[in-house]
Amino acid sequence: MDLQPIHPPPTSFLRRYVFSTDHKVIARQFLWAGLFLLAFGGILAMLIRWQWAFPGQKVPVLGQIVLSRSDGKLTPASYNAVFTMHGLIMIFWAITPILIGSFGNLIIPLQIGARDMAFPTLNMLSFWVFIVSTIVLVMSFFVQLGSASAGWTTYPPLATQVGTPGHGQTMVVAALFLVGVATIMGAINYVTTVIRFRAPGMTYMRMPLAVWGLWLTSILNILFVPVLGAAGLLLILDRVFGTQFFISGAAAVRGGGDPILFQHLFWIFGHPEVYILILPAWGIVADLVSFFGRKPAYWYKGSVYAMCAVTILSAVVYGHHMFTTGMNPMLGKAFMILTLLISAPAELLFLNWLHTIWKGSLRLTTPMLFTLGVVFVFALGGLTGLYLATISTDLYLHDTMFVVGHFHLTMAAASFLASFAGIHFWFPKLFGRRMNETLGKVHFWLSISLITIVFCGQLAVGYAGAPRRMWDPHQYPFLANLAWLNQWTSYFAFALGAAQLIFVVNFVRNAIARPNAEPNPWQVGTLEWTLSSPPPVHNFDVIPTVVRGPHVLSHPEVQRTLGRDWISQTEDLPGGSV
Amino acid sequence: MTAATSPVDRTHLHRNGTALLGMMMFMASWAMLFSALFFAYFLVRQKALQWPPEDLPTLPVMLPGLATALLALSSAALQRGLNRIRGGLTGAAMNVGGATILGAAFLICQVVLWQQLVGAGLVPASGTYASIFYTFTVFHALHVLIGVGALMVLTVSAARGRFKAESHIPLRLWTLYWHMVGVIWGLMFVTLFLL
Repeated sequence: MDLQPIHPPPTSFLRRYVFSTDHKVIARQFLWAGLFLLAFGGILAMLIRWQWAFPGQKVPVLGQIVLSRSDGKLTPASYNAVFTMHGLIMIFWAITPILIGSFGNLIIPLQIGARDMAFPTLNMLSFWVFIVSTIVLVMSFFVQLGSASAGWTTYPPLATQVGTPGHGQTMVVAALFLVGVATIMGAINYVTTVIRFRAPGMTYMRMPLAVWGLWLTSILNILFVPVLGAAGLLLILDRVFGTQFFISGAAAVRGGGDPILFQHLFWIFGHPEVYILILPAWGIVADLVSFFGRKPAYWYKGSVYAMCAVTILSAVVYGHHMFTTGMNPMLGKAFMILTLLISAPAELLFLNWLHTIWKGSLRLTTPMLFTLGVVFVFALGGLTGLYLATISTDLYLHDTMFVVGHFHLTMAAASFLASFAGIHFWFPKLFGRRMNETLGKVHFWLSISLITIVFCGQLAVGYAGAPRRMWDPHQYPFLANLAWLNQWTSYFAFALGAAQLIFVVNFVRNAIARPNAEPNPWQVGTLEWTLSSPPPVHNFDVIPTVVRGPHVLSHPEVQRTLGRDWISQTEDLPGGSV
Repeated sequence: MTAATSPVDRTHLHRNGTALLGMMMFMASWAMLFSALFFAYFLVRQKALQWPPEDLPTLPVMLPGLATALLALSSAALQRGLNRIRGGLTGAAMNVGGATILGAAFLICQVVLWQQLVGAGLVPASGTYASIFYTFTVFHALHVLIGVGALMVLTVSAARGRFKAESHIPLRLWTLYWHMVGVIWGLMFVTLFLL
């Protein structure tokens, strides 16, 4: 019986490389697209840092090209568009396609032993809807009054026709709706594939934790991205058809609507979203600390339960983004307690990683270094989160640079470091080669040290009282003495940006070169490493039968029988009990 | 699954199960979108000074009541068509075709309703009451429009005998979709016209 027949590989160029339904090709497409947009978002970040270091001064090099109409300077209006689009692009067009679009597509079928996704055509559509949304997004820069500039959170009244009159804002909200559709298409595929296409013997409790992370993320995507869709839809109706959902005050008819309604809808989605972006990273970290610590993942089931608990709790904490909107104090207190409650399972997961590393025979390869980097920045980000979850401290820190530093450490630094870990780790399965280890390590050490300095610099100015999103923070006497700190943070940020060129060289050179990697360079037992690098179109000649979990490493019996410290999930161990 | 089931049938059954599960995911996602719209309704209504505002035309109950009945009948007819195919009986095309016509009739009722209300002075820009009314009804009508289009294609397929007792997954999935459109309209009818 064969539930997944082998189809002959497509022959035409279009079907093989452009409109491909092969999950591995789609994974590469998402990776390239995501990395390009990451570079775009990164350049916008450099512009923001320039503005904070030297407000209103001519931007060198880049200014002459993109800001020629304002004499190479960032005007307040263009600055607003720059920080808005930096946030939106990084979250929806960089982290999402790389961490979920690319890794989800690559590893879910390979690690559970499937030949492809449950709905290959839907998978292809997901990528092309993503591309359409990207086109709309990029076009918004070229319309009159420029791109969206109401902040990535798109709060009304700033996001209504009154605050941002151009078409750019409308186009970006539409692009957001489209990218949401693409995300949901992918998520439906991932969830269904995991439920229906696990190989025989691949029980839920034998799945690699990376698959668990991606699976839970996809469930959250299915349930909460539509809420953002609804918020965007209502906003577009307000902007284009004159409805009054978010209009109040002088512009309102008969009492009008409520701008706070948007904040509710946005954060009902937005809080699960931060876990959507971090759960795949957690899963990858949990697997990699085991693979490169040469030890079984400590309390695998505990990690699974912890991730499930976080997934559920993430749906009921969104109010902590709205402590300053005048909500009922009782409600605020409830949200505070629920939010602080999340740190319990998160902490459990964290301790499991540390316990896995503890006394392991660490192999400090590039993917492992990036993994340890995630552990480090996530600890910093997680601890600063406690101040924001607590109402009394949040009232002071709300909308300061402290918040910016916090979410960059958790959501940005942790997610991107995990992405780099994953790219280095799965590069043999993506492009059939290994990336250069020396370049990778140089890239890592520069990235981790500079990331820490830059985002801790943000935490520091925020704690000193600097509000976020200021065009010229130093024009206010109480912030003027922070100029030196902002300048130094910017210098380090520019260095961080420049350091990414090392990755670009390492990535591009190996992605276009001829495949030469062995099937299992890291000596681990999950299913993708039983295949050639890169795997054939149909992945598995015979659907494998799984006999054990993903982390059987350094088992004495395996070492005695086979003479090595790892065993594949499918391998038969004669007379063995593992 | 009996021992007599051939490998081909099992592949087929597995594929149907997968399609059904995917549809469930899609519907869950879609239900959340509508839940968010209802959330907006409750928040806006709670904040409103007056609901419905006295200076705006009142919404009729008879016409949308008729539309509701039409949509319910359409759902029933489609289910009947599906049941006939499952039971290996003839006459499915008649039922699916009937469901299509009833769905189209629902849309006509909606268009008439909008015309009446716009004529009486209720436009999308007349405040939150009108915003909710038009957003709900138009967004829902778009889903009915997609459904009617799909049902037309399914009617042709059924008439040509494409659906068998053991293979009719498109019809089954669209039936689920259609029931969901109906249930959501039921909720909208109660919130918009009765409460």
